[in-house]
This record gives sequence, C-alpha cells and structure tokens, in this order.
Amino acid sequence: MKAVELAGNEIVICNCGGNYYAVQRRCGHMNAPLDMGTLDGTYLTCPMHCVQFDVTNGEALSGPVPADFGKETPPPMLGEYFQNVGMLMKHIRTESIRTYETKLAAGWVQIAL
Amino acid sequence: MNLSWVISRNAIRKPWEYEAVLMNAESRKKALHYFYEKVVGPLGFKFTPDEELMNFLLEQEVILENKHGIPFCPCQPLRHNRARDMQIVCPCIPFHRKHFDEIKRCWCGLFVHKDVLDPDKLPQLSPKDVNLE
Amino acid sequence: MKKVNMYTLSTCPWCRKTKNYFTEHKIPFTYIDYDLADEATQSRISDELDAVGATGFPFVKIDDEFIMGYQPERYTKALGI
Repeated sequence: MKAVELAGNEIVICNCGGNYYAVQRRCGHMNAPLDMGTLDGTYLTCPMHCVQFDVTNGEALSGPVPADFGKETPPPMLGEYFQNVGMLMKHIRTESIRTYETKLAAGWVQIAL
Repeated sequence: MNLSWVISRNAIRKPWEYEAVLMNAESRKKALHYFYEKVVGPLGFKFTPDEELMNFLLEQEVILENKHGIPFCPCQPLRHNRARDMQIVCPCIPFHRKHFDEIKRCWCGLFVHKDVLDPDKLPQLSPKDVNLE
Repeated sequence: MKKVNMYTLSTCPWCRKTKNYFTEHKIPFTYIDYDLADEATQSRISDELDAVGATGFPFVKIDDEFIMGYQPERYTKALGI
C-alpha cells in the first residue's frame, strides 16, 4: 500500500495482485492511517483496532476489537489509556470509507477526485 | 453507502434481535471464509462440505463478533477471562489440536479434516469420550 | 422417569438438535441457554463445567450422568429407551 496526498485528499493506493484500488486514508472508525495496516487480498485491516475494510467498495466489515473491555483489569497506566479509549470507542460510529475511481495509464495510477 | 452500526453495551438481546444491528452479514461471512481458509489449511483442515451448516455457523460468528468484537466459537462457553476466551476464538483448532485431530472435526463442526467427505458421520465426541485428558 | 437438564447456547446448532431429540422422544427436560443467562448463572455453570472438565455445549445431564456433545445414541442409552 502507498499513502499519497492529492489536492488535500489523503488516499491509500492498494495493489491487489495487479488490480489497483484507492481508498481514503482515514480509518472509518477512528481515523487511524490505513496505509500502516495490512492488506490481504482485497481486505485491509486497520492498525489501531483491527477494523477491516473491503477495498473494492470501501465497505466496513467489522468493528473494533474488542467491542468493549468488559471487567478485565488492565495494567495501571496503560490501563488508564485503554479505559479512556474504551470509553470513547463506545460512542464512535464505524463508517465505510470513500473510494476513488482508478485508471492505469502509462505506468501511472490515475485517481478520479 | 449507508450502513448503520449500532453498538449495544450490556444489553442482553435475543438471537433474532441481532439482525437489526448487523452490518452486511454476507460480506463479513465472505471475509471470514477468506481468512479462515488460509489458517486451517496448513493445519490439515478444511471447511465442512455441509454448506448449510457452514453458513449457519459463520452467521452465528458474525453475530458474536458484532456483540463482542471477536468471532468466538458458537458452541463453546465464554468464561469472561481473556486468557481462556482467547482459546475459543475461531479458528480455535491450535488450542484443541489433539482433540480435534482425534474426532476429525472442530467442536462446532465448521472445520473437518481434509479427507472428510461425509461430515454427518462425525459424532461430536468430548476429549474424555476419545480417551484424551 | 429420569431427570434431564441441559446447558446450551442460543448460537449452537447442535444444542438445537439436542433439544429436538428430547422433544421428539417426548422426554421432558429443562435447559439454560448459557449465553442468554445473567452473570451469576453463567458463573455457576462455568464452575460446574470446570468441576467435570467439560469445555463445550451441549452439556446434558440425565440423572447423575453427563454427556458433552450432541450424542443421540448415548442419550438413548442413558434414558434406557
């Protein structure tokens, strides 16, 4: 994957076995940079909370992991961070990501904005 | 695209109520199928040839994933203890290797040994039933 | 008449088959869907499973005998029918 910025749009270009797809860089969950995640086939996994997207249509396939932290006691300082993130996460809506039409031309990947 | 995602905390829903909160279940099932296949193959397993069962179990996993954020086995108990619950995250074959290799299937039957053609003939035997543990 | 009680999951197709077995054989039974139960009940059942080393559902108790897994032949034998 490669993150680029075009006319103020942060976009991630995904090479799926020779087929190119382009998606917004911001995770539809908490805006983490998706280019720092992993791409497997046409499935992109976000590095922050493992939300997964289908890059062919931007569809969000799953929410964050875990859904909530339950009653487990996390380690002290890290725990506070996670507790806070956990509390915020409860109110966040996971959205699908915008995709951009792509065209291959003379060795360049063109993206329609 | 307009997907509605409602996360409900601490609400005990009846199974059929989850339909109202599912993201596109078919897409998620397809993705789970893709990822699982890669994991269970090297372990000597494949998806059960019983497609109806496979679809049902994958749907239950999508429901569980919507509820907990993690696709747990639809046929084993959650203990609400992270170390224990990690052992029933699908595919849970590595944590039950001897048992599942002995009965040629995983507990819920989503996966069977690669040479299995008739999954109906594989009874759901506990480790004790096959003299393990 | 043997006493039949079982622990099941609402998400488990084998549990459904198990319930059907007893219904079809007209054997009365009680059941608890573990995943739909409250915390205290889940904790109690979890301890009970641990006490006998059981790790999966369905978990069927026929009088003093317990059977883990959908095993209709064993149910028939345990019921003496």
